[in-house]
Amino acid sequence: MAQGGHETSTNIGEQIIAHVANSGEMIHFELFGINLSITKHVIMLWIAASLLITVALYASRKYRSEKRPIPSGFTNAFEFVVDFVRTGILIPTVGKNHVLKWGPLVMSFFFLILTMNFLGLMPMFNYINHGHGGTTPTGNFNMTAALAIITFFAIIIAGVLEHGFFRYWKNMIPGNVPKAVLIILIPIEVMSMFVRPFALTMRLAANMTAGHIAMLAIFAPIFILHNAYVGVASVAMNVGITFLEIIVSIVQAYVFTLLSSVFIGQSIHPHH
Amino acid sequence: MENLLRFDTGLMIWTWITFIIVLVVLGTKAWKPMIKALEDRENFIRESLEEAKAARKEADKVASEYEAMVAKARQEAQEIVAAGKDTAERMKTEILNETQVKSAGILKQAEAQITTERDKAISEIRTQIVDISIAAAEKIIVKSLSREDNERLIKDALKDYGQN
Repeated sequence: MAQGGHETSTNIGEQIIAHVANSGEMIHFELFGINLSITKHVIMLWIAASLLITVALYASRKYRSEKRPIPSGFTNAFEFVVDFVRTGILIPTVGKNHVLKWGPLVMSFFFLILTMNFLGLMPMFNYINHGHGGTTPTGNFNMTAALAIITFFAIIIAGVLEHGFFRYWKNMIPGNVPKAVLIILIPIEVMSMFVRPFALTMRLAANMTAGHIAMLAIFAPIFILHNAYVGVASVAMNVGITFLEIIVSIVQAYVFTLLSSVFIGQSIHPHH
Repeated sequence: MENLLRFDTGLMIWTWITFIIVLVVLGTKAWKPMIKALEDRENFIRESLEEAKAARKEADKVASEYEAMVAKARQEAQEIVAAGKDTAERMKTEILNETQVKSAGILKQAEAQITTERDKAISEIRTQIVDISIAAAEKIIVKSLSREDNERLIKDALKDYGQN
């Protein structure tokens, strides 16, 4: 018994990691030598995207058919969130004149990340892969990296569209700077170009994974100690953490979106 | 641990494909129409407020103009009344003066006429007295005195009478 307990406790770290990590290949699929196999996170991504498209198309139906729609009920609630992204993120960062141009990208970031964050909170996706962990797709750094790479290119495209190709690169260096400073400044600017999407990638993935790790760690004593009373305490604590995770899901979607929008805005309006 | 940090190009590519689909579908069908509607509503509310403000300003202006007009009309009316009073007063004075002058003239004329009439009457009376006296004296002393004597006597008598 004591040996069994010891075995469980040494395995607990691996168990937790296995529960928050992506599944293996569920359907093997390769195209032009690239492995495009379907994993649990791909399926969760598709579910999130389908859900978001369905809900957003339903909520925005009045806006496509009427000139000056008056929202009510669910449409009103959805419009509130859209207006929050517009007035809270887009207008202060990219500016009022660029909202229509960059709004779709920023809105898509916010709503897709938020949907995936929430999906990760629902303890049902473990059944997709025969009881494998109920993970969050946004906790996978491959996905957040893919999103951050979109931000990376969006920053460059925004600058080039606004100032032209050469002016954009020139804008990265502030004027009236001694040449000696440029030797330090240019590498820093180039580094920051890559550090920003890297930070976006890691912040979102780590935050979304951390909550799951915390919850699993709190559940772990049940399996180590085989005690029902510990289970009561663990469940009570995890209910609290779930509420915290709801906030984290919203905040992280907001932070990723806000920073992406801020970087795009800096590219449109340099030296501010 | 390797599981958690495994590079997965497949997931990255699926993320891009899915994200682009979401971006294109929702960008054209949901986000843009909603952003446009929100901007349109915002502009509509702002314009309505501005119009209301302008209309109120206009109404205030009209009201103040109207008040100024009423005040001006009141002042004019007062001026007209004051001017009418002045004219009436002046006319009254003129008429009174004229009447006084006229009546004074009439009085003077009457006095002059009375004086003339009185003088005339006195001289007539004098003549008649002389005639009567002569006639009477003639009758009394027709033979004792000549005509010249009589006249001299009468003139003397009259002189006395005039002095008396």
